[in-house]
Amino acid sequence: MDTIRDLVTLFFFPGGLFVLALGMSYEWVDRKLMARVQNRVGPRWFQPFADIAKLLTKEEVIPLDGNGLLFLGLPIVALAGALTSALYVPVAGWHPAYSFQGDLIVALYLLSLLTLCTGLAGANTSDHFSLVGATRTLTQLFSYEAPFLLAMLGPAVMAHTWQINEIIADADGRWMLFLQPIGFIVALIGLLGKLEMSPFNAPEAETEIVAGALTEYSGRGLALFRLGRHVELVIGLTMVAAFYMGGVNGLPMFVLKTLILLLGLVGIQSLVARLRIDQTVGLWWRWGSLLVLAQWLVLVVWEGVQA
Amino acid sequence: MDTPQTLKIAGELLTGLAKNAAYPEESRLDITLEPRDLQEAVGKLAAARWGYLATITGLDQLAAGQLEILYHFCAGAAILTLRISVPRSPIPTIDSICSVFPYASIYERELGEMLGVIVTHTPNTARLFLADGWPNDVYPLRKDAVLEIRQE
Amino acid sequence: MNTVPERFVVPIGPQHPALKEPGHFEFTVDGEQVTAASVRLGYAHRGIEKATEGRNWVQNLYLLERICGICSHIHATAYCLGVEKLAGVTAPPRAQAIRVVVAELERIHSHLLWLGVAAHEAGFDTLFMYSWRDRETVMDILEALTGNRVNYSANLLGGVKFDMTPELQDMILKGLEFLEQRTHDYVAVVTTDATLLQRTRGVGVTSREQVEELGLIGPTARASGALRDLRVESPYAAYADFPIVPVTATEGDLEARFVVRLKELFESYRLIRLILEKLPEGELQARMPRKIKPAETISRVEAPRGELFYFIKSNGTDQPERIKVRTPTLCNLASVCILAVGSQLADVPMILAGVDPCFSCNDRAVSIHSTKLGEKQWTWAQLRQYGIDYYRR
Repeated sequence: MDTIRDLVTLFFFPGGLFVLALGMSYEWVDRKLMARVQNRVGPRWFQPFADIAKLLTKEEVIPLDGNGLLFLGLPIVALAGALTSALYVPVAGWHPAYSFQGDLIVALYLLSLLTLCTGLAGANTSDHFSLVGATRTLTQLFSYEAPFLLAMLGPAVMAHTWQINEIIADADGRWMLFLQPIGFIVALIGLLGKLEMSPFNAPEAETEIVAGALTEYSGRGLALFRLGRHVELVIGLTMVAAFYMGGVNGLPMFVLKTLILLLGLVGIQSLVARLRIDQTVGLWWRWGSLLVLAQWLVLVVWEGVQA
Repeated sequence: MDTPQTLKIAGELLTGLAKNAAYPEESRLDITLEPRDLQEAVGKLAAARWGYLATITGLDQLAAGQLEILYHFCAGAAILTLRISVPRSPIPTIDSICSVFPYASIYERELGEMLGVIVTHTPNTARLFLADGWPNDVYPLRKDAVLEIRQE
Repeated sequence: MNTVPERFVVPIGPQHPALKEPGHFEFTVDGEQVTAASVRLGYAHRGIEKATEGRNWVQNLYLLERICGICSHIHATAYCLGVEKLAGVTAPPRAQAIRVVVAELERIHSHLLWLGVAAHEAGFDTLFMYSWRDRETVMDILEALTGNRVNYSANLLGGVKFDMTPELQDMILKGLEFLEQRTHDYVAVVTTDATLLQRTRGVGVTSREQVEELGLIGPTARASGALRDLRVESPYAAYADFPIVPVTATEGDLEARFVVRLKELFESYRLIRLILEKLPEGELQARMPRKIKPAETISRVEAPRGELFYFIKSNGTDQPERIKVRTPTLCNLASVCILAVGSQLADVPMILAGVDPCFSCNDRAVSIHSTKLGEKQWTWAQLRQYGIDYYRR
């Protein structure tokens, strides 16, 4: 019985297909909202599904230079990483499928795997756009990752645990966003950086380097990377909503809170121009890290006083 | 400063060099030069900060066996044209003015491609407008150019 | 060991998302820093200069109008004014005024288009979408006026093709009111939006001296404090009767170019309203001779991107001897390669967009004269067949 339950969890719900479908739906919401803000009509609800289905049927062109095995393997690893991390977070308001002490760190690093794979994929070809894109992707990874991680650990420190469902249980009903406003803002903007959304889309700035690290990708590889990105969107939103917005108990609460967050992301995206990579790095290290460290200092002192 | 006054200054700058000067329109002054005097004339204009180089036009005077090259300088409404003629054959050659006006490079490249004028000392002679497969000895703006589709 | 570091070249073009038209730039980069730049044009080279020599004066009007899709009217105006000068004909005042109205509407359309493109290069897609949406207003006006959204074909040799009816005037005034209000918003955005300013303020600075050295013209030069505007310096058509107040800025950076172009829009709105109010009465066209005696002339007009230069030479027949077109982009393009060196790769598309390049304008001259195939013109089917055969081999 347990085996069947595990298989269902892995392939259908809450992992696997369900997360993929949810990811594409959220991608659609993002695109549709963005389009409405920009006074466009926007895509119909099945557009992300159609995009992926179309990409999956297309020929995958493998460049001669660079390692072919790596070229094919990286997208799979990236998507697998994103899907695995879905098992540890309360997707759709359900309890995390699996849980252990320290799963927060594991989930966050599984999410970073996608970015890392993107960077490696770009570096694996001799295409100049890809190489510049890969450099930028990795540079950006190193700039937002530390502040984002610290921001996500804030609630964990208050809950005295590294286990996601315990943090959520602790945060349930307590809107961390008011207790740790800086952490919330850093986490939200860090999410933009993680998803390479405007203003942190320099790694795939189409007017400079076409599609950045993924320029050489077509067909299946591109579809897998994009699916990974969609899944990451859902998981990122779930985690921020669960940690900072008083938990995500039940499906209606989950949908409501994540959509509000997504609306916030769309708002930021549509109001800003793209930052240069040096400006991105400057922003994160000069402001993001310092602010979140200041918040940490307050947290640690507060915990000390309480104890 | 009004236009005739501006043109007069230009005329005075180049009095020693001009073979011929004419005012075809109120706002235009045409000065004919010997090719060897071009550098000096352009240098004088630049030193006096008279206008900017608008473009270089090449004219194929097939009947006279000459290629006429027109350097148009503009200052406000005033247009000064320096005209020089070089024989069409064997190889029309002029000297570059890029040392004085670096941005003339683009026009000199165009001149070389379109009319087959060899511009000596010009910094860059790479193809700018014509296709990579265009034959080296066909200059499209010459009146006797035979243009045909090449079977590559 | 002594190794020469490999040159890392980022090609931009001939096909690239940053370019709406084909051009080819090669930027050598060291990390994110650009260390060298070169340009190759000609991908939209159509042989128009050569083709004019085989057509008569009237046919050429329609050919030259097609040099550029964005500033087609100004090409036709420059050509018409030049040919009229050669023939000793002056277009009636009403025609000249209508020419200016269309030219200014075209400038509005071109500047709004540019605003969108530049915003897109900066990754500010919301501004891009909004400015292009508003640009539809002026496109609709131009369509109502002339029947076309591009290649308006408003000019005739010796005059213009259509009259300005009261209904059209109403429509223009209504459209301008909307656009003026929108333009105020855009000025506010480009001068206050923090992220956009990070990409524009102090980027691609061109000094007054560089304007002289590089021979820059148009809004690019005006943003650096050089008053180069032929509508003021050498008023043509109706600009002498309806003078324009030139807009300049002194900073010379990309922000100044945004501001100059947007403020020029207000000047265009004002001028169009003034002309519509005091539109001269009279004929629309003067009679033109078919043949023109041998002469040369130069016609210069202020296109949206800067000075447009036409050299026209007639030879006594109904065909020109030589027409030389120098478009504003060609002048300004040289600055891109120089300004790009030393800047960040991310700023390059912005610097490129800053001069508002128009490659179709740049590339002109080689018609298909086929001697081998015995026919001068091909039908579409023949051309298609040729293409199929060519690739089959």
